[in-house]
Order: sequence, then C-alpha cells, then structure tokens
Amino acid sequence: MENRIKEILNKALSLIDDSENLENLEKIQQIRVQFLGKNGELTNILRSMKDIEPELKPIIGKFVNQARDVITERIEERIAELTAKNIAKKLNSENVDITLSSKRNPKGGLHPCSLVINEILNIFTAMGFQVKQGPEVETDFFNFQALNIPKDHPAREMQDTFYINDELLLRTHTSPMQARTMIKEKPPIRIVIPGKVYRPDDDATHSPMFQQIEGLVVDKGITMCDLKGILDTFAKALFNENTKTRLRPSFFPFTEPSVEVDVSCAMCGGKGCRICKGTGWIEILGAGIVNPKVLDNCGIDSNIYSGFAFGLGIERIAMIKYGIPDMRILFDNDIRFLKQFN
Amino acid sequence: MLISVDWLKDYVDINCSIDELCAKLVSVGFEVEEVIRQADNCKKCVVGRIEKLEPHPDADKLQICSINIGSEIVQIVTGATNVKVGDLVPAALDGSDLPCGMHIKKGKLRGVASNGMLCSGEELKVTEDDYKGAGVYGIMILNENYPLGTDINDVIGTNDIILDIGVTANRPDCNSVFGIAREVATVLNQPLKMPSLKYEESTFENTANVVVENAELCPRYMLSMVKNVVIKPSPKYIQKRLKAVGLRPINNIVDITNYVLMEIGQPMHAFDLANVANGEIIVRNAVEGEKITLLNGVTYTLTKDMLVIADSEKPSVIAGIMGGSYSGISENTKDIIFESAKFVRESVRRTSRKLNVRSDSSARYERGIDLASQEIGMKRALQLIYETKSGDICKGIVNICKESLEPKQIFCNASKINEILGIKVPEQDMVRILNSLQIKTEIANGVLNCSVPLYRDDIENANDLAEEIIRLYGYDHITCTLMDSGKQTIGGKSIELQNVDNIKNLLIGEGMNEVYSYSFTTPKMFDLLEVPADSKLRNVIKLLNPLGEDLSIMRTTLAGSMIEIMAKNITRGNKNARFFEFANTYMPKALPISEQPVETQKLALGVYGETEDFYTIKGIIENIIAYFGVKASYVRPDCCYLHPGISADVVVDGKVVATFGEVRPDIAAKYDIKNKIYVSEIDFDLLNCLFDNSYEFKAIAKFPTVERDLAVVVEEAVTAEQIIGVATKYAGKTLSDIRIFDIYRGKGIEKGYKSVAIKFEFTSYEKTLTDEEINNKMNKVIKMLDNELNAKLR
Repeated sequence: MENRIKEILNKALSLIDDSENLENLEKIQQIRVQFLGKNGELTNILRSMKDIEPELKPIIGKFVNQARDVITERIEERIAELTAKNIAKKLNSENVDITLSSKRNPKGGLHPCSLVINEILNIFTAMGFQVKQGPEVETDFFNFQALNIPKDHPAREMQDTFYINDELLLRTHTSPMQARTMIKEKPPIRIVIPGKVYRPDDDATHSPMFQQIEGLVVDKGITMCDLKGILDTFAKALFNENTKTRLRPSFFPFTEPSVEVDVSCAMCGGKGCRICKGTGWIEILGAGIVNPKVLDNCGIDSNIYSGFAFGLGIERIAMIKYGIPDMRILFDNDIRFLKQFN
Repeated sequence: MLISVDWLKDYVDINCSIDELCAKLVSVGFEVEEVIRQADNCKKCVVGRIEKLEPHPDADKLQICSINIGSEIVQIVTGATNVKVGDLVPAALDGSDLPCGMHIKKGKLRGVASNGMLCSGEELKVTEDDYKGAGVYGIMILNENYPLGTDINDVIGTNDIILDIGVTANRPDCNSVFGIAREVATVLNQPLKMPSLKYEESTFENTANVVVENAELCPRYMLSMVKNVVIKPSPKYIQKRLKAVGLRPINNIVDITNYVLMEIGQPMHAFDLANVANGEIIVRNAVEGEKITLLNGVTYTLTKDMLVIADSEKPSVIAGIMGGSYSGISENTKDIIFESAKFVRESVRRTSRKLNVRSDSSARYERGIDLASQEIGMKRALQLIYETKSGDICKGIVNICKESLEPKQIFCNASKINEILGIKVPEQDMVRILNSLQIKTEIANGVLNCSVPLYRDDIENANDLAEEIIRLYGYDHITCTLMDSGKQTIGGKSIELQNVDNIKNLLIGEGMNEVYSYSFTTPKMFDLLEVPADSKLRNVIKLLNPLGEDLSIMRTTLAGSMIEIMAKNITRGNKNARFFEFANTYMPKALPISEQPVETQKLALGVYGETEDFYTIKGIIENIIAYFGVKASYVRPDCCYLHPGISADVVVDGKVVATFGEVRPDIAAKYDIKNKIYVSEIDFDLLNCLFDNSYEFKAIAKFPTVERDLAVVVEEAVTAEQIIGVATKYAGKTLSDIRIFDIYRGKGIEKGYKSVAIKFEFTSYEKTLTDEEINNKMNKVIKMLDNELNAKLR
C-alpha cells in the first residue's frame, strides 16, 4: 500500500513536471483532477482504506495526506509560475505609443498680465498686505485733490486724463484707493491695490488702458529704509535673489521724499544689455514716503503715523519679464499669442 | 528742458566729463533723457587749404585738388568751379559723416583717387545767415583764417552739447539755464556765477502809468521802457544758443525775450509803445464777452475770470499767454515796453485751457514762476539791450509787488529728518547740504533754522527738507529694514477675489484663455448688436476727450468686445478658441451723469470652433454655477444679439445671473463671421453675493443603489426639464439621481418626435429596495409621463 502511494506520487510529480504539460494551465488542472479529484487515484486509495486493518489506517492515512500535500503544493507552484508567465507574456504583448497626443481638452491660460499680477500679489500678501480694489470711474477729489494735486496744479500735467465731466474721470492711477482706504480705516494699514487705470496715450510703450499695482503702508515709525527693505525683498522675489535695488530722487505730489526704484537688470545681471539699454538698471516703480499733507487730508495724524506708498505698471513688468516688444500686443488678444503663456 | 552746455558754462564751471555730469544730475533727481552732441552730425570734416589744382586727365568738369589739412596733404577730386589755390575749404575726409546725411568714403573718380569731398554750405546744413559765404553755389569758402585741420564744427558753431533734462513738476525753478546751473554748482561743488545785470540808463524817463487791479492773480508786475529801438538781428552767440534749444531767432527784441525766458526762466513780454493808448498799462480782469485777436490771428472772446493787460481802451495781451496781433514788435517799432510779471499758475492754466491757446510763456507760467525772477529777468533783458546797443533804456523800472520778498523761515528738528529717512545723517551734514542749496541754515539745540530762498517755494516742511538732504547725502546710504516698528498684519484676498482666482483656474481647466480688452468702446456697437433703442445698455457714459469715436463710451456690456475678439481671431485664420474676460461694466445711476456709476464685475465667455456647440458653453457655465453652490434653472432669454432658439438665461433665486448662447448668424455676419460663435455674459458680482460654500456631512447609504433605464417618445417641443420634472415628482423620495443620457431621432421615430432615454437611480438609507418597490415607482412614472406629457414608452 505504501509503495502504491509512492508510485502514485511519483507519477503525479513526473506528470506535473513534464515539459509538455508545463506550459498548460488546463493540463495541470486535469492532473489535479486525475490524482486529487473525487475519483482521483489518491482519493481512491483513501476510499479503499475501509478494507485495511484498523491499526494501519492512521499510518496509511498519513501517507496519503502527505502525498496529497506534496502534489497540491507542486500544482500550486506550477500554477503560480504559469500565471506569472502568462501575465508577463500578456504585458509584453500589449503596448501603446506613449508619444502619441492624448485626447485631453488642452488647458487654457491666464493673460500674461494676470500672471504678473498674481506673482506680485502673492509676494505682498505673504508680507501681510491685504488686496483691495476700487472704482475705475473716480472723482476728481480722490484721483487728485486728496493726493495733494489741487485743480490747475502743474502736477496734473504729469498725467493726462480722460474726463467724463468736471468732477468725474477715469482714474489715472490706482492711488485714489490710498485715500479711500485711509479715510475708512485706521493704521496699521498694509494694502496692495491692483487695477485698471487710464491715460490718453497710445504707442508702443503706452496704452490708453493699462494696469497698476499700488501699495500703501501706514503705521508708527515707518521710514525710507522700510520702503527700501520691502521693495528690495519684493524685487528679489519677483526677479531673483541677486537682484539689487537702487533709489533715485523723483517727484510725486502724494509722497515726499519721492523716489524712482530701479532694479538691477535680471537679463544681464547688471552688465548692460538691450533690455536695460546698456545701463544695467531697469526702472520698475515709483515710490515715496506718504506726504504728511495726504495723511492729514485723510484724517490720519501725521505727527503719530507715517507711511510709504509705491506704484508699478503691470504691462511694463510683463514686457520686461517675457520680452514683449510692444505693449499693444498685450491687448491684441490673438490666441496664438495668448497660448504662449499656457 | 533742453539745456546748452555752452550756455550753462556761463554760470558754472564744469570740472568733469559730460557723462559724469549727467550721472550726477540723475543722482540728485534730474533725469537726463538725452545727450545731443551737435558735432555727432558732422564727423571727420576739417579745415583744409587748397595747395594745388590740376585738371582731371579724363574728365573736363573735374579737378584734382591737393588739400593741406595740417597733418598731411590729401588728394580730393572735385567738380566745383568756385575754388582756387589758397582757399580754405571744408574737407570731408575718408569715413566722414555730414549733416546732410552723406557718408564719405575714399574711391576713384574716373580713375583718379579721391580721398574725400569738398563741402558746400548745403551739405553742411549751413545757411548764409549762419555763415557768410555759405549760401554760395559750389564749395563753401571759409572767410577767416583757421588753423589747418580745425574741426569744421568749431568753424560753423555746431560744437555745443545739448542736455535734455527732465525737470519734475515740483522744481519750476529749474526750467532755465540759470536754475540748472544752481543745481550743477551744488553737485559739482563749484561756485555759481551770477548773470550780468549791468547796464546804463539813458536820460529818457519811464513814462508808463501802471495799475494792477487784480494783485491776487498778478502778485508782481515790473515794467520798463526802451526808446529809439534799433530792430536788427541778434548777435551770433544769441542766435546760436536759441537755435540750439529749438527756438528760431527773429530779431534782437524778440530774441532777448526768448533768451531771458530760457536763461532765467522768466517770461518777458515786449510790446510796441505806439500801440499803448495814453501810455497806460492796466492789469485787470477781462470784461465778460470782450474780444481780442492774438498774434496767432485768431479772435477770442474772453470771460471775466481771465486776466488781461490793457491800455485805457482795449486789452492788448492775455496775461502770461499771448499778445494781441497789433501790439507786437514790427520793423517800424520805435519804443517798446518790457513786461516782467508773475501771474499765478492756476489762472494762466485755466485761461489757456479754456481758450485752448498755448505758448512758451504760458507753459512756463503754468509750471510756476517764483517772485524773485521778475527783477533778475528784467535787468538781464535790459543788460542785453545795452550790450547789443538796441535802444535807449529809460530811467527806472516800475515794480508793483504786494507780497513779501523775504525768504521763508522753517524750523525743524534734525531728529525728525532722521525719523523720516530711517538713518542717522549727522547734523553737520544736514547743515552743509542745505547751505549748499542756498537754503541758509543754522542749527541750535538740534533744531534746524532754515531760510528758504523765494525760488524754492516747494519747500515747506520736514519731509521737503528730508528730501533735499537725502538726495545730496546720497540714497545709497539708505539701508534695508522690514518695518520693525510696525504691527503684524494678516495679508490676503477677500472671498470675492478668491472666487475670481478660483473661477479663472476652473476656466483654464476648460481650455479657456484670458483676454483683456479696453473698457471704452464704440457707440456703433449697439447698432451692430441690434440693441433696442430703449435698452438701458444704451445709457452710456461718454468721455469728454476720447482718443477717437471708437473708444468714446464706457461699455455697458462685455459681449461686443468678446464678439470682436472672436471675429479678429477668425479673420486671422485661428480655427478655434475659447476666451474669457473679467472686466467691469459701467452703468450711470442717472443721465446726465452726476455721481460715480455702478461698476459691475462681469465675466464674459466666448467659444468657437468645429467641435463647439451650445452645450460646450453651457457645460462651462454649469461648472461655474456648481462652484458657487447654487441651483440654477435655464429659461429662454430675450437677448437681441443671441439666436432665440439657441440661447438661455441662467436664473438663480429668481435673478438672471448669466445669459449665453449662439450669436445670431446675421449679427455675426456683420463682424464678417461665417462660423457659429457662442458668447456668455455672467454677472460675477451677483454670483459672489449668492456664493454658498457651506458644506455639511451626510451619511453614505449602506444599501445598494438600483439603476433603471427608461426610453419614452415625446413630441419635439417637450423639454428635458419637463420630463425630469414629472419623473422626479412621481418616482418617490428614494430617487437619488435622474438624468437624460440619450436623445434619438430618426428611423423608427415619427418626424416631430424624439426618443428620450432616462436613467434613474434609487437609493434607500433604511433597507435594500426590492424589485417590486422599484417596479411600482417606474410604472407610476410611465403612467404620469403619458398623462402629463403624452410620452409613450418606446
């Protein structure tokens, strides 16, 4: 009996390992049935055990079980091997051209000016500035008078203006929101104001509508060094770590002292190139210490508080950053241009 | 402001290069926009003497000249016939550039080497007026003895350097040679030389009788008289300098007024005494309706707020702006009056704007003239009369001035200056700098006591003094600090602005590109879009001074611009595009406009292309609506420019938040568009108001969802909304989702009908739904669809 079991076992194992059957999952399953199935050769042994002496039963039973375990294990091994082989074969046989274009709906994009605005606002909001917006049709009072530009003052010549009537106009700068905010809110004030502004100019470097970002800080003990520090930090974030900032005296009626802020040219690193016209510097914004007259106009005590303000032109920065030669391209809205910024 | 360096040197020695001077001017706040070197127009052209003249062997009309230019003898072939041996001539050498635009290179003329060109006056752009003999036909023969090889620029007087200096509006005192000289003297640490004001009076009396009726608009009026005037050309140096700064020399008297204007910054006016009735000069307001014909030949009607200079009979000058046509200087003028006055800038500006008359004088007055310039300007003019022997100066100058001519005193703590700047400028440096600017300053106990000259009326307070100090102390001393004394604030954007950013990102994901178009547009747009005459869209704000009719009104809708942008792209062959724009519309509260209009933030969408249809744009809008967390219904709009059958209003809470659809083909055709284009205008402010970003957790159903599909045939007119409405009403509360997934027309379906396939999903939170329960619901739905919509099961 013992030999019979051994015989069956060897037969089974040799069948399982037979190269002909090796590649065939079905054959292996048949082998399982042939030996371990209801009428399988090994099962039949168990069935025939009723004729065996009772004391031999456990021994034979143990033999049969051991043989079944070995066969089962070997079959499982083969199945695993085969399955793995089949999967590998299938995977090998399937492939796509990964360089072929997808079926996606291509994404769109922001206008380059919005890219610049977002970048700038992100820098300033991270430094604690709140973003504000204001009306584009402004009063003469907020656009000029509150900012220390009385009627018939020569400083009005600095900004040609679209008028609607004697009292209403299209704002020439985002600065009116300085006054509107200071009248409504008390220090500490740290705001940036993006928005459209209007001046009657139209050429390669001027557009009758363009965008500015205005900044205003009012608090105790604000100095020219703070102005430089914040704008220097801003310029480094907008261009790169090595960007340097330079202040030059200038004039704006609502700041005193007033400065133009130049940054070292990001294109040439300050050596001089076409972008910076060989100077190594690019003028990017106007700024200054808030004129105490403006603080007083807006009900903030200039003996206690001081501040600084700045303003920059978005289109100009976009032109510098992306190398756009003519401002009018920005308002042309040709999809072939816009897609370059997707 | 054009400044001649040659002229500037009259008042300050320039002990550095022009480049250094420019850099220094920039560092103290005077932008040098351009440096014009006159000599750049004419390079490598020198004085040469004709040593030898020989006929050309192969050309009758040419001569071979040997020209001595000092360093060498140069052979030049010329066609001119007016030259002879010994003549001094301008010789343009190999590689020279001439003012006429010619570039001269050596070459051969009929086989003979010619290493340059002899020049005519015309080629050097020199006229007979500029240089005697320049007007002759042929070569310009020099009439003085110059060293051979002298640069021709030195001969014809084109060796000046002109600086175009940007003078800021707070520094009207620098709109003159002398004003710039003051700054240059300070930055170069050189002494300032004063203008020559010396002259001798004749025995004639100044007989003018001057009355200033309105001292408020005319704080200072000075007048002098010159008799027996000789009208003649000005000396060369005056003509040369005037031309250098862009003024045309006219005659000695007019030139003197211009010269003083440029040099001192004081507008001068000269009038013919013969035209002043009774020798009376009255500075008064115009009489309402009074008329005057000015030098420009135009007659103006004046209003009573305008200031004029009049005699006892008539106005002869509009103060500070322009003289009357008859009062000017002519060849026959014998006696003249010089006026040197201060008129307040606001008055001049207002009058000049109102009458739309500008002059060099009015421009100067508008920038502001200080009270000290009248006297120095007047004396300088008389000095030039004296120097040029142009007439007999009468005794005495009339000087009517109601204002103090004393310098302004300012007291200021030195510590305040440093508080503004944020650095420690030593007190002695503050004092030194202010004194170098002619602001006489002393310091005692930390208090600066400043005496500000009259021409610096921009300086009033500590901030003004801080600016003067730092611009000369140097902005490179300013360090970087980060508001250490300030309070921490929270930065960021409002929810409304965040919504804009989020929707922009959503639209980018939809493949859309952002555009920017002008806020002003053409009134023709309304006719193109066939906007009804009584539509409120036509209540527009008009600009008083637009750049053109096409940019003259503030838009009340973004649709027109969006259609234009699509049209432009289609015309350029761009086959498909999706656009969006965030911008305001401007609705006046009333017309004529008296207060700020309502500005509403709108979002415009525009799509076109082969694969686009009504549902592309609807899908985008549905996503926007979903973002705002609101429920919308879609109703047929009444929109003039949209296809009535292929457009919709999006209604939320009874309010129309958006309108979209296909642009009417006949309207698109007016924009030369043959394609189907789709636009939408969305009221973003309204959506912002409705924004609901509240979320609440709801348990997820444990029991399986059961799906059922149903196809019914209905008449074409029956809408999806109706079908869904009826089905939802009768499907019971376990209906968790319902949608139409297919519409079929064609074979098997009668014309005028459509087959609509609906998917139902049923979910219970309490139990597993049985087939029987669902079947009952579905049967009810089928029955009611039939009852209410005549829908037949397919």
